[in-house]
Amino acid sequence: MDSSNDEALDIIITNVVATFRTRCHLNLRTIALEGTNVIYKPEVGKVLMKLRKPMITASIWSSGKIICTGATSEDEAKLGARRLARCLQKLGFKVRFSAFKVVNVLAVCSMPFAVNLINFTKNNRPIASYEPELHPAATYRIKNLKATIQVFSTGSLTVTGISLLTRLNTHRHIKYLTPFYVQLRRHIGLRD
Amino acid sequence: MEGMFCLGCDDLLLKHIHRKETNSPPDVCLFVSPAKQHINIVGNQLQMNQHHMDTALNFYKMALIKHLTRGRKACHVIAACIYMVCRTEGTPHMLLDLSDILQVNVYVLGRTFLVLARELCINAPAIDPCLYIPRFAQMLEFGDKTREVSMTALRLVQRMKRDWMHTGRRPSGLCGAALLVAARLHDFRRTVKEIINIVKVCESTLRKRLTEFEDTPTSQLTIEEFMKVDLDQECDPPCYTAGLKKKKAQQLEIEIKKKMDDVEGEIQEYQEEIDAELESSRPKLRGVYAAYAKGEDEDELRAVAKHFGKDLNELTVEALIKLEQKRPEDEEGNQEQEEDGDFPQRKAPSLAFLLGSMPSSATLGLSESISSCVTDEKENDGAADSGELDLSGINDSEIELYLLSDNEVKIKTALWMAENSTYLKEQKEKEAKIAKEKALGIYKERKPRGPNRKHAPIRANTADEAIEKMLEQKRISSKINYDVLKDLNVKPCASPARKAESPKKERPAAKLAGRNRRPSQTQLSLSTPLSTLGKRLQQYFLFVQIGSSNPLPLPVEAPASGVVVESGPVVYDDVPGDEEEDEEDETCVSALEMLGSNDYGCDGDYDDGF
Repeated sequence: MDSSNDEALDIIITNVVATFRTRCHLNLRTIALEGTNVIYKPEVGKVLMKLRKPMITASIWSSGKIICTGATSEDEAKLGARRLARCLQKLGFKVRFSAFKVVNVLAVCSMPFAVNLINFTKNNRPIASYEPELHPAATYRIKNLKATIQVFSTGSLTVTGISLLTRLNTHRHIKYLTPFYVQLRRHIGLRD
Repeated sequence: MEGMFCLGCDDLLLKHIHRKETNSPPDVCLFVSPAKQHINIVGNQLQMNQHHMDTALNFYKMALIKHLTRGRKACHVIAACIYMVCRTEGTPHMLLDLSDILQVNVYVLGRTFLVLARELCINAPAIDPCLYIPRFAQMLEFGDKTREVSMTALRLVQRMKRDWMHTGRRPSGLCGAALLVAARLHDFRRTVKEIINIVKVCESTLRKRLTEFEDTPTSQLTIEEFMKVDLDQECDPPCYTAGLKKKKAQQLEIEIKKKMDDVEGEIQEYQEEIDAELESSRPKLRGVYAAYAKGEDEDELRAVAKHFGKDLNELTVEALIKLEQKRPEDEEGNQEQEEDGDFPQRKAPSLAFLLGSMPSSATLGLSESISSCVTDEKENDGAADSGELDLSGINDSEIELYLLSDNEVKIKTALWMAENSTYLKEQKEKEAKIAKEKALGIYKERKPRGPNRKHAPIRANTADEAIEKMLEQKRISSKINYDVLKDLNVKPCASPARKAESPKKERPAAKLAGRNRRPSQTQLSLSTPLSTLGKRLQQYFLFVQIGSSNPLPLPVEAPASGVVVESGPVVYDDVPGDEEEDEEDETCVSALEMLGSNDYGCDGDYDDGF
């Protein structure tokens, strides 16, 4: 049942974080005053610019480093980043698009059964840690894949990590974990 | 009183040094005694017994040895150690209590605690809400009946656990709900507000827990039944049930939609049948018009297209459909004007009718936007990679939308200036100050410190081994004379005095990072050989001299001797600059030169200082 579950599980990538550099100094005040959809944060020293077409929020620093978040795929992230660079070009800065790199990927997945977090953490110490006072999910860190999985008691998972980039890897993550779940699945999961 | 607890370890260390405890046991003790004081203070506030505090101290020592205290505030680490003891011993202390005492964000403490637990491989057992009940019950002042109320509350909590309400939730919330119900059961009036103050959860959380409990079958039992009987049936966790409900609702929606579509389809069929019937019941068109009615489409469209001056291809499917829909009306229009003679005349009315019924801009405007959208999407599919900014897929006109026009810029500028006037004032003042200082020639450029780089711990038996290994790690000059390093010797009397002086020159803000800076100053004032070492090396030699006769507390276990007290000239002039990364190198070299040892030369790395 579990192998069929693996294929049936849909892992949806919900967030891709990427950074790139414009290789030129940016005047944040100009951007803030001449752009629509911008939020200027002078205390921190950055401008938040939101794009609509790929739904992307970008943090722009005056050094020319930009972080792009909110894209749902790697390509979308790249497109959004290029759009942003084009926008900055139009504002008059000599922008060069360089060092584009996807830094983090977040995916969401849902198990058809509920998970007993306490037993789960007991059996998987110290890889898994659960602190109900701090966060309702148990955190499971896979070292060799360099990914973090947050397990909620409803059975939903949040997988975070750069290694998620290739589709193959996301399945690897889930396959990695399924044996643990088999141990801890509650009966109720089977009823439905 | 609370401010004291956030003292960095270095400040306490200073106090320690001033006391001149030269006979303290070796190694980590230097950091341990101030930590011990900390722990005692906090422990007393939490009313922990001595045994717990000793265990906490042991945890702290383990953390020290594993270098987990580096880069973290000492008070955070201490709090984490104390909390660890609370968890392992099962005392009813919450992380929230600790954060209240220390005035630190609970999540920050939590993070430190998690790191410590992971590194020290301490498996803290999961929090049981039952642990908190007696504590909260006492605070709620039930008098003689405290015990009974606690028992009831305990039963309630256990029931909640069996009903899976406790996974993923804060244990204090559950306790609050249980105590509220238990109090009511025993005729005590405890308001929600009182409970919230003690339990420290939000009112809505409490209410939610109560509703969830209400949903379980246990809530239907009477009081006596509840005390006696324990229902076997277990419940799903409430979020799971909620999730199931959602799923069901979604499925229902889908089904309804399907049914709607079916119904619509049926209606459509009926409509078509009716239309067909109507058409057939209408008087048949005469021959000319029959031909006119049939092979119509393109001619009509071409006429329309010609009128609007566009190509036939511009008219998209939508427009065609619209035209088709108009056709029944057109035919009626044609019938009305059957009397008219010529073909073109007949065409004209239909055109007029057409134009009259359809707003002129609509079809073409629509088709324009549709075509632009279609072409736009095609552009976006191609995403070629190149070094420079690749403009493929980027519609410039869209990007223009992201930029304001000149007028708008002016308005926005005015608004922004008005809103951020305080910030702008501060900036101006800052600039004025800097300009003044520059004019006076005492401008000190303060660059914000970058984060301390985390170095892997070096295991070495002797000081020189440690140095060698470190030098391998970091690309520092190989021209350092190790023999001289071996001869480092601290003169106990001299060094504390020097220490006393140098901190004065230290910048008033004793940041934790300052700990790394001070050795550089002190070393400069005290020794030549160490001054040749790079700033990075100096970070490893935390308190080499400050330990006076104490050997290093770091992995360098061998007596790390001391430093040749150098009655060198005015190194203190450079003290202000020492805070600066680049200028440290500069002072290193200048000290070298001052002392006339030219053997070491200048490393390429240190050219930035110039």
